[in-house]
Amino acid sequence: MNTTADRGLARAVQRITSTARGPYQSAIVRIGFAATWLLFLLRELPNRHEMYGPNGPWSWGMARQLIAANDAFTALMWSDTTLWFELVYGIAVLSSVLLILGWRTRTMSVLFMIGVLSLQNRSIFMGDGGDNVIHLMAIYLVLTRCGQVWSLDARRAARAAPGVTGGPSRDRVGPVLWAVLGLALITATFLNQTGWLVMLLLGLLWVGLGLWWVVSRFAPHSEPRALLDVLANLAHNAAFVVIMAEVCLIYATAGWYKIQGSRWQDGTALYYPLKLDYFTPWPALSDLLASGGVMVMVLTYGTVIVQVAFPFTLFNRRVKNVLLAAMMLEHAAIAVLLGLPFFSLAMIAADAVFLPTAFLIWLGGRAARGRDRLFSRADVAGRPEQQRGSPDQPRTLVG
Amino acid sequence: MDSYEDEDVNGARRLSSEPQPGRVPKARTRPESPAEFEPESELESQSECQPAQESAPAAEPAADPVSQPKTQLAQAGRVPASRTEPRSEAEAEVQHQRQPEHEREREQWHRLPPVAPRGAPESAVPEPAPVRGMAALSLPYQVAAAVSFAIIGALACVHLAMVFLHVAPSNTVTKEYGKAVDGWVYPEFEQNWKLFAPNPLQQNIAVQVKVELSAADGSRKTTDWIDLTAEDGEAIRGNLLPSHVQQNELRRAWDYYVNSHNNENRADGVRGQLAERYVRRIVMMRLDAHDLGGPVERIQLRSSTRSVKPPEWSDEKIDTRPAYRVLPWWTVTAADLPEGVSSGRTEAGT
Repeated sequence: MNTTADRGLARAVQRITSTARGPYQSAIVRIGFAATWLLFLLRELPNRHEMYGPNGPWSWGMARQLIAANDAFTALMWSDTTLWFELVYGIAVLSSVLLILGWRTRTMSVLFMIGVLSLQNRSIFMGDGGDNVIHLMAIYLVLTRCGQVWSLDARRAARAAPGVTGGPSRDRVGPVLWAVLGLALITATFLNQTGWLVMLLLGLLWVGLGLWWVVSRFAPHSEPRALLDVLANLAHNAAFVVIMAEVCLIYATAGWYKIQGSRWQDGTALYYPLKLDYFTPWPALSDLLASGGVMVMVLTYGTVIVQVAFPFTLFNRRVKNVLLAAMMLEHAAIAVLLGLPFFSLAMIAADAVFLPTAFLIWLGGRAARGRDRLFSRADVAGRPEQQRGSPDQPRTLVG
Repeated sequence: MDSYEDEDVNGARRLSSEPQPGRVPKARTRPESPAEFEPESELESQSECQPAQESAPAAEPAADPVSQPKTQLAQAGRVPASRTEPRSEAEAEVQHQRQPEHEREREQWHRLPPVAPRGAPESAVPEPAPVRGMAALSLPYQVAAAVSFAIIGALACVHLAMVFLHVAPSNTVTKEYGKAVDGWVYPEFEQNWKLFAPNPLQQNIAVQVKVELSAADGSRKTTDWIDLTAEDGEAIRGNLLPSHVQQNELRRAWDYYVNSHNNENRADGVRGQLAERYVRRIVMMRLDAHDLGGPVERIQLRSSTRSVKPPEWSDEKIDTRPAYRVLPWWTVTAADLPEGVSSGRTEAGT
């Protein structure tokens, strides 16, 4: 009937199936969360046995009892040996590094998720809100094509591109990695007892990656390959929407529940965390901030207003960006003032999904130039010129 | 996120009945590279017409179907001029101005990488425009894609609805379908964003322990209350990167204990028993750092809850004296000792 509407729908369908939206936003979220988790793991390296080890206060046997009841997924339940624990911790660290770099991004995002779920579900009483965000995003990221830009994968694809069709023909690493992980997955299937949905997801992803390689290798221009591409785009776009909605839910929940609290109403709420022993790494600073009634009231009300308003400002680009900046600043302040650096980093990484593309591209250009200045002081001659011109050339943040 | 509406509308307008009936656009797959994702219009408007045409055969009057893909490629700024049909500067300018500013900026950034059009030899033969997405597929594959679309879309919607109901207050729907929501959300999508809400915590809760140990002369000795939470606080003070071990371990363990016990300190089943053991093991590990003067025989725990005094500018009056919750004495067993902890029975006799 209505041809305009039909065409609009067709256009929307085509857009969703042909491209993975928000390449820069998904990349910054990937880098943000992988970096947060990596820094956290490195920070807790000396405490890792106490937190997640088989003989810590929350022992392997105790965890097993609880997990039997809540059916969470954790690879740490596959064996109670210290060696296995160290291996899982090591894989968590390594996969975070490689996910930041975007090397075999999809596979690394899967390993990253396994690392996050394994450690967090092993000791659920160790985490806080920051861990919770990382947990959710680690799952969602697996479904995205978050390595389209700013990744080694993108660089490899760009290099292979001219003249070469059927990218993975010369790829040796991919199949080897796939085979090794396949073996691991089969072994794990025998050891695993809880969290079968996650295991199912792992199996599906493994089959999917194999299928993708086979089709790309032997029939790169075929319709099956085009269909797989459509499926990958659909999954990405759906997960991307879920990530954005999740961030909105976080702020909406945090804001709307605050409105109901008497302390947020009388404008003193912010005063109290500044007087709690667990949240005052800098008591003098906290006392200073808590000393002014008007200042506390303004910050208290401001926090609620920003959190409640944020989801609605998404309809206006300019207001959204202002609020985004405000929230990132607030989280940066929380990192120092309340001593919650990893929580704040995780929230900033989540906020980054709403950063404007133009800003991210500018940021990428700055990062590339910074990297060049850092790593190639020796040959300042002509290279930077070329680099400056192509800021969207995949960059890796390493030399 | 970013709006491409201008281009889309524009692009769609100049298209029309292309592709010709029966022509199945060939998928041209290209390795993933950043550039690939930029020229949206190239990918979209070209291929959009197919589904549109199916549902609406009498589309708008046609513009030149041949020039269309090329215009778009030119827009992406990476096609040699020779391959593009001459296009007036004015038209280009109009095209340019239609784009939002950020879009233009973005395009400038992307103009430069000299990525050769892949699969396109430098001949004059116009290749079929690259097509991806739904429009690149023949009917059977389109059906498969459409079914997947429906499933993935439905999953995303259901997931968001479930998470929403999970974080929302108890309501009509959750009273009816609470089990279904829990079944979907737990364990991996559990979340709690009531950060300092509805009210921030207004008490400092400290976990303290009293130890009965056997002294060197064989007699039993009882220590004063040792404030373990205060030790956490000291470790956090002046620390740019506090550890979860200092911030969460004891604090959340005590929370867990309180939530899994009634006021008579009776456990509510397995959860409660695990909580007791967890707290004791943390305490024994912390005590290990103290020089108590003998092996620990028994411990007693208590919590001290002290309200934060109201702000100076407030006229509220609040009792800031601590309130205690005292747990019964507990005889330490091997199960209360994490690895490497020696201040308990294992050390007895040395």
